[in-house]
Amino acid sequence: MNEYKILFTGTMGAGKTTAIGSVSEAAPIVTDVANTDLSLGKERTTVGLDYGLLTLANGDRVRLFGTPGQQRFNFLWKILSKSALGLIILIDNSRPDPLTDLVVYLDGFAEDLSTLPCAIGIGRLDTHPMPTLEDYMDILANRNQLFPILSVDVRRREDVVLLIDTLLAQLEANTFGA
Amino acid sequence: MDNKIRLPEKVMAFAHLELQKISDEVEGIKAVVLATEDGFDVASVVRDGSDPSRIAAMASSISAISTVVSEEANLGQSKNIIINTVSGFAVMQSIVRDDARLVLNAIANEKAVLAHVLYRTSHFANSLTTL
Repeated sequence: MNEYKILFTGTMGAGKTTAIGSVSEAAPIVTDVANTDLSLGKERTTVGLDYGLLTLANGDRVRLFGTPGQQRFNFLWKILSKSALGLIILIDNSRPDPLTDLVVYLDGFAEDLSTLPCAIGIGRLDTHPMPTLEDYMDILANRNQLFPILSVDVRRREDVVLLIDTLLAQLEANTFGA
Repeated sequence: MDNKIRLPEKVMAFAHLELQKISDEVEGIKAVVLATEDGFDVASVVRDGSDPSRIAAMASSISAISTVVSEEANLGQSKNIIINTVSGFAVMQSIVRDDARLVLNAIANEKAVLAHVLYRTSHFANSLTTL
């Protein structure tokens, strides 16, 4: 049996807490508080970490950690990424500039992404079709990075499991790293 | 950042005045920062060049994590957190008002007396809660 630590990060409101909650077999640990930032239409926001646990069909256990999305909490990004075996970046396509959002996390986790696999999930593509997945791929290509990008609805367990499987497949195939 | 927290003027005036007094009167205080529970500083006095916004964000995270720990351990609501180090300490004091949940952060060097700082921060919290 293998143990994995996977880190979810991405913009506030992209669904990191929801994603972990939708697949965790134990009640997730959530550190959300009332959001006071009027520029972000959200009642509550994670300021510490999220944690959940998932046992895969083969018995492997995946410990799922989530970061706060806002850059003012980037000190936690470094703490939480320690010993992670992979990174999942969630982007909310309904935000004003989601492509720039992606760059924030690619830059914020640049050191980790030079050695770790990553999967990128784009949410709300059904209601906000622009930018397209190809636009995100162009961003990665311009940075000489190659990570799978999926359209996801993190409320759907199967979408989150697919993201995790995509990440673990890279680990097993050793097809990651700059 | 446009913040939803709108503390009454008398509360803000008290906070500014009292933070300054804590900073002036308690030896070893390096910074006192009053922050929202989601990590925005609303009042501060800083002596050592620290960034209040950074202190506010860190205190928010630590407070939230300590709340989870205290809940998991059935210890009830977290009142304060102390980080004691070889060259000083940090105190994070929870403040629950009807209109806002806040965290007071006091950062002190080794010259400060922990009990003294705890007394002042808890007194500040009590005053701000009832104001």
